[in-house]
Amino acid sequence: MPDAGATRTPDLGIVGLSHIVIEASDPDRSAAFYSDVLGFETAPGPAWPQCGTAVTLAAGRGQNLILAAASKLPDLHETGVHQAFGLSHGAREKAALRLKAQGVEIETYGEDPPDETTGGFYFFDPDGNRIQLVALPDTEDDAPPTLHHTAVQVADILWAEQFYTEILGLVPVHRVGWNTADYARAQAWADGKEDMAPGTRRLDKRYSSMVNARVMPRVNPQVYFACGDQRLGVFLANSHFQESPEDACRGTPRIAFRVDPPSLERAQGRLTEASWRFEGPVVHEPGAPVSDSIYIRDPGGNFIELATAGGAHS
Amino acid sequence: MAQAETLSHSGICVHDLKEAQEFYCGVLGAELKGAVNFFTEDTLNGRSVHQSYALGDYLFAVALAPDFMPMPPVDQLRGAMGVRHAFTVAKARFDHTIESLTGSGVPFEGPVDHPENGPFGQSIYFKDPSGNFLEILWRRDEDVGTAPIPDLETG
Repeated sequence: MPDAGATRTPDLGIVGLSHIVIEASDPDRSAAFYSDVLGFETAPGPAWPQCGTAVTLAAGRGQNLILAAASKLPDLHETGVHQAFGLSHGAREKAALRLKAQGVEIETYGEDPPDETTGGFYFFDPDGNRIQLVALPDTEDDAPPTLHHTAVQVADILWAEQFYTEILGLVPVHRVGWNTADYARAQAWADGKEDMAPGTRRLDKRYSSMVNARVMPRVNPQVYFACGDQRLGVFLANSHFQESPEDACRGTPRIAFRVDPPSLERAQGRLTEASWRFEGPVVHEPGAPVSDSIYIRDPGGNFIELATAGGAHS
Repeated sequence: MAQAETLSHSGICVHDLKEAQEFYCGVLGAELKGAVNFFTEDTLNGRSVHQSYALGDYLFAVALAPDFMPMPPVDQLRGAMGVRHAFTVAKARFDHTIESLTGSGVPFEGPVDHPENGPFGQSIYFKDPSGNFLEILWRRDEDVGTAPIPDLETG
C-alpha cells in the first residue's frame, strides 16, 4: 500500500515498462538461451537505439528485452538486481524442464513483496543476470513472457526514493527495512527458518542494535514502486559497487518506462526544474520500436529511459 | 556546577520508522535531520537504524526497535513507557496544538490543569503510534525566558 499521509508528486504518466536492456558477453548465445528456456523470439526491425551491438527479443504486451553486448560484466549474484518475467504456470513448468536439461540450477527462495514470499523461481542466465519467473493466472501457455518487474541497486536509498517519487512521480507500494516486523523476519532468516533472496538480508557482526547492543541480522532496505501493473524495485546495495560515470545519461544496462508524448514533455520540465541532467528528447529513425526517448541517470547510477511508443514518426 | 548541564537529546524507540516520520513530522511538525542505515556506507560500518529529528530546539533520535515492545492499553493516553517526553508550546498556541491533534485523529487526554503555584499551566497527554507517551504543555513562566526550576513540593 502507498504510505499513508505522504505528499505525492502528481503522476507523471508512466504507464509501465517499455523495455529492459541487460548486458550479455555474447548476445547471440544469450538470445538462444532465452529462446530455448522461455520461448522469447527475436524481434524484427532495426537495431535498438542506444544499445550498441545487441539482440532484441519480443516480450508480451509490446514490450522488449534487449541483450546488449558488454565486455566487462559486474557480478550481480549477491545483489538484489534482477529481472522478473510473467508467464503461465504451464510455461514456467516447461521452463523448469528446459533449465534442468541445460543443467541450470533453479532457486526457490522468497522475496519481500507480499505476493512474492512463496512460489519463488529464480535462476541465472549465462552471464549471471538473475531472472525470476512469476506464474500468472489467466495467461496462455504460448504467450511470450511479459516484463513483470525489475530491480536495481543504489547506495543511497532515500535519495533514490526522492528521485523516483518527486521527479518520475512513481508511488511506493511496498517498503522493507523501516519496521520491526522486517527485522523479526531477518532474524528468522538468520535462524535458518526463512530462505530469502540474495541482496535482501545481511549478517554483519559489527552491527548491533542501538536499543540493546545485540548483534543481529538486518534486512537490506528496499522500496518497490508501481508503474502500471508492473513494478520497479530499488534495493540498497549491500556492498560498494562501480557506478556509471556521473556525467553519463545513456548506457547499458537500462530500464525504460513507457510514456505518452505529453508525459515526455512534462518529464523534461520536471527534470529541468530539478536541475537533473538528462539527454534528449532523441527522435528515433522512422520504423524504430520507440519514437522519442529521454535518457536519465538515477541517483544510484542506473540508466533510465522514458520512451514513447514506436510509430509516431513513421 | 552539576556534572551534567542540560539535556542534549534523547532517543525514542519505535516499531515503524516511516509511521514515526509521518507522526513526528506530519502531526507534531518536527524536521527530519538525518537517517542512518539507509546508505550502503552506513550498513558496511555496522551502524544502527535510526532517524534524527528536531522539534523546536530539541533533538531526538527515533530508533527502530529490533524486537516488538510491549504496548500500553489502547485507551491509556497518559503514562510512561519507561519515559515520557514532554514538549512545550507557547500558551497562545496551545489551542492550535489541540486542534491539530484533533484534526489528525490523534486521541489525547486533557487539557489537564496544573497547580497555579507551579511552573506548568496545562498539559495534554497522548501517544505516538508505537505507544511512546508524549505530553505537550504551556508554562506559566514562558515570558521570563529560561527560568530557574523552582522548588517543587515533595511527599
